Amino acid sequence: MITRTLLAVTVISWMATPVLAHAFLNHAEPGAGATLAQAPQEIALSFTEKLEPTSSGMSISDAAGHDMEAAAPAISGNTVTVALKPLAAGTYRVSWHAVSLDSHRTEGSYSFSVVPPG
Amino acid sequence: MSNHFTRLAARMHVIPPLRRCAFLAAGLLCLPAAAQAHGILGDRFFPATIASDDPFAADELALPTITSFGHETDYEVEYSKSIFRGFALGIGAGYVDARPPGEQASAGWDNLEISPSLELFRDPGHEIILTGGLDWEIGGSGSQSVAGRSSTFTPTFKYGKGFGDLPDSMAYLKPIAVTGTVGYALSGRNGEANSIEWAGAIEYSFLYLQNNVKDQGFSNFTAHLTPIVEYNFSSPVSAGGGGTTGTINPGLIWSGQVEQFAVEAMIPVNRASGSGVGVIAQLHFYIDDMFPQSLGRPIFGGPR
Repeated sequence: MITRTLLAVTVISWMATPVLAHAFLNHAEPGAGATLAQAPQEIALSFTEKLEPTSSGMSISDAAGHDMEAAAPAISGNTVTVALKPLAAGTYRVSWHAVSLDSHRTEGSYSFSVVPPG
Repeated sequence: MSNHFTRLAARMHVIPPLRRCAFLAAGLLCLPAAAQAHGILGDRFFPATIASDDPFAADELALPTITSFGHETDYEVEYSKSIFRGFALGIGAGYVDARPPGEQASAGWDNLEISPSLELFRDPGHEIILTGGLDWEIGGSGSQSVAGRSSTFTPTFKYGKGFGDLPDSMAYLKPIAVTGTVGYALSGRNGEANSIEWAGAIEYSFLYLQNNVKDQGFSNFTAHLTPIVEYNFSSPVSAGGGGTTGTINPGLIWSGQVEQFAVEAMIPVNRASGSGVGVIAQLHFYIDDMFPQSLGRPIFGGPR
């Protein structure tokens, strides 16, 4: 009885409407806490859901708070990429916000460092 | 969601199952809808806790919660519906199957429980949330064999705090978050003491660690795990009420896109709390993500 009920609820739930969930960060390049010997030329984030392009975005700032994006973020499907200005050695902060197609919003931030060998 | 140990300790029992569950589930699917983001505050996602209430007023469904503790097994369902942004109404029911050694076995539906919650304060930047609530166990709504005839009212204060605002020198503590509740249970039963109900959780988010602190190279599955320790205590405050009883529950939660699964051990803190280790497990659905344009939205106003 319990099993049947659970199965019914689950099946009906999934059939009732397309699932559109919160967009959580799935992968970041460079990733959180990364220490890089060579400065990246872009930041690429992928999410668990497709994004609403006009409401999602990303910014990168250096320790002084200066914006380091060379262009506006490009959003396609579930990915956001942004080209960077040349990065000197230092720590940088990536801040993103993602709005999935069902209008649910998530946000996050992380840091990475550029430390040239030597 | 409701305080499992309190209900167990009150009579070592729980919520009504499947015939009612089926009706409830069917009703839920037919309701109109617009809800809140479940458990998201700033950069942090708080999974739904299973042995203690979490502070989010959201659209969610716990079906089922199964508790095996002592000589009793309980099957529960709880549904929370957002009425407007920051205010939700929960309803819980459960089926009790008690087989104490040397005594007659009993089984039946426990009393229904109604639990409105109102979010009072949110600070996404510091990952803080404060919520007020009330748990109303409706006396006489369950089976006579297992449920009491008198109602219990428990005004409750709930809180949540993530530690993402710690300094970078403490980066690996940032994934920690706590949630908790403190309530005063006003019992309507003759001879039963009023009590302070206090419960909560301390959790470590692998998702937060992976995405906000240091990429650990976790698989998608591992990144959605949250090790957690919950606690759930009842401290009688009236004369003759006895001492504090409760359990400490170490466990693990896996959170998917629209569902989560959790399992915890239940370790009694003293002899009066029971003997042997129990287990509690729950399948939980984020209704706001499953039905974002209908059942998952607050009835009045838009989602957060």
